[in-house]
Amino acid sequence: MAAAGIKLHPSCRVRQEGFGLLFYDCKGPRLLFAATGTLLPADFFGTVRARDEFPDGTSESQKPALQKFVTQLLEKGFLREQ
Amino acid sequence: MSNKYVEMGMRSPVNLTWEVTLACNLRCNHCLSSSGEKACNELSTAEALDLVEQLHTAGVFQVNFGGGEPFIRPDFEEILAACHVRGIMTCISTNGTLLTPELVARLASNPLVAIQVSLDGARRETCDAVRGDGVFDAAVEAVKLLAATKIPASINTVLTTHNASEIPAMHELARSLGVSLRVSRFRPSGRGADNWESLRPTPTQLIAFSDWLAKSGDVRTGDSFFSLTTQERQGLGLNLCGAAKLTCCVSPTGHMYPCAFLQSDRFEAGDLRTSSFQEIWDTSEIYESFRNLRIHSCEECTRFDQCHGGCPAVAWHLKNDINGGDPECLERCVTSIADNRLELAA
Repeated sequence: MAAAGIKLHPSCRVRQEGFGLLFYDCKGPRLLFAATGTLLPADFFGTVRARDEFPDGTSESQKPALQKFVTQLLEKGFLREQ
Repeated sequence: MSNKYVEMGMRSPVNLTWEVTLACNLRCNHCLSSSGEKACNELSTAEALDLVEQLHTAGVFQVNFGGGEPFIRPDFEEILAACHVRGIMTCISTNGTLLTPELVARLASNPLVAIQVSLDGARRETCDAVRGDGVFDAAVEAVKLLAATKIPASINTVLTTHNASEIPAMHELARSLGVSLRVSRFRPSGRGADNWESLRPTPTQLIAFSDWLAKSGDVRTGDSFFSLTTQERQGLGLNLCGAAKLTCCVSPTGHMYPCAFLQSDRFEAGDLRTSSFQEIWDTSEIYESFRNLRIHSCEECTRFDQCHGGCPAVAWHLKNDINGGDPECLERCVTSIADNRLELAA
């Protein structure tokens, strides 16, 4: 069965910074600094993605960390399941 | 708050305060910008719309509109629409007196808008003494209009010595109206400087407020009260001044400053009529000085990790020294009360 789709929460924004991604939730407001470097493009979650979907070029060794990061973003409410 | 990343420097502010006009139909005693008449040479509609485009390009997430009274600007809804079409979130600080059912309905059609209505007392007399006769009732009506929509709405209260005892009642009032409460710090700028001594909360009131805030997790303070933040509220907001690091201020005439409380020539970072927003953010010496600001005199304090020296604007207005530490931080409130007791005992 296909994994549920995930997307950036409508109250959240994200942009690229030197250290990685900066997430902003206007309901709070809250910030999340993610030292992802250039692993994850800022616009990646602008469209619905599968839970196990990764940006092109992601290596097998990077995938577990990215998957954990996505889970954290869901738990913190920056991403939501569609 | 991850200071490590903030100190690496942001490519643009996370949010900013944009005072779109100095014009206001009220003359509140504590107004931070001495609003009243429209300023000479305020940004035109075309200049304002160009700025919105620049903010979008820079990656600014949110614009907090203030003034003056933003809704006095005939083109304000056009400016808002320009933000929304670009996905920029907006929060409007208004006195509420110009909100009509029709205007609220138009605002409610966009999910990217939030509104704060100023109300400075739970009692009509307390609020109107600061904001003018009839303002309490008009503001409450505005809050009711907003509460009936999906617009995230809040009551914004500036803590003064006259309303300090009413803050729990303000909390209850906000709750009964179906909105949240936000409490802002009274700072000695604009007319607030003229009326500082008569309106400033006492150290005892500030400590009592800090204690109450610790038990009231749903009350927001923006970045106003990190100087008073207790352990219980850590993680709810900033633990350092975000001026020139995470936020900044644009004046009605297109001048940029570190924050709304430091709008003077001494702190002017640039002029949007002669430089771009990004140029000013990247190259302003004033902004650089704020990014490098370290309040060494506070470093030995046990609360240093919680406030990093507090609000430089208050330090500037009261001590003429942004490096001197916040004169009204929790630690200094405690010391001040202890000193007074010793003097009385002597």
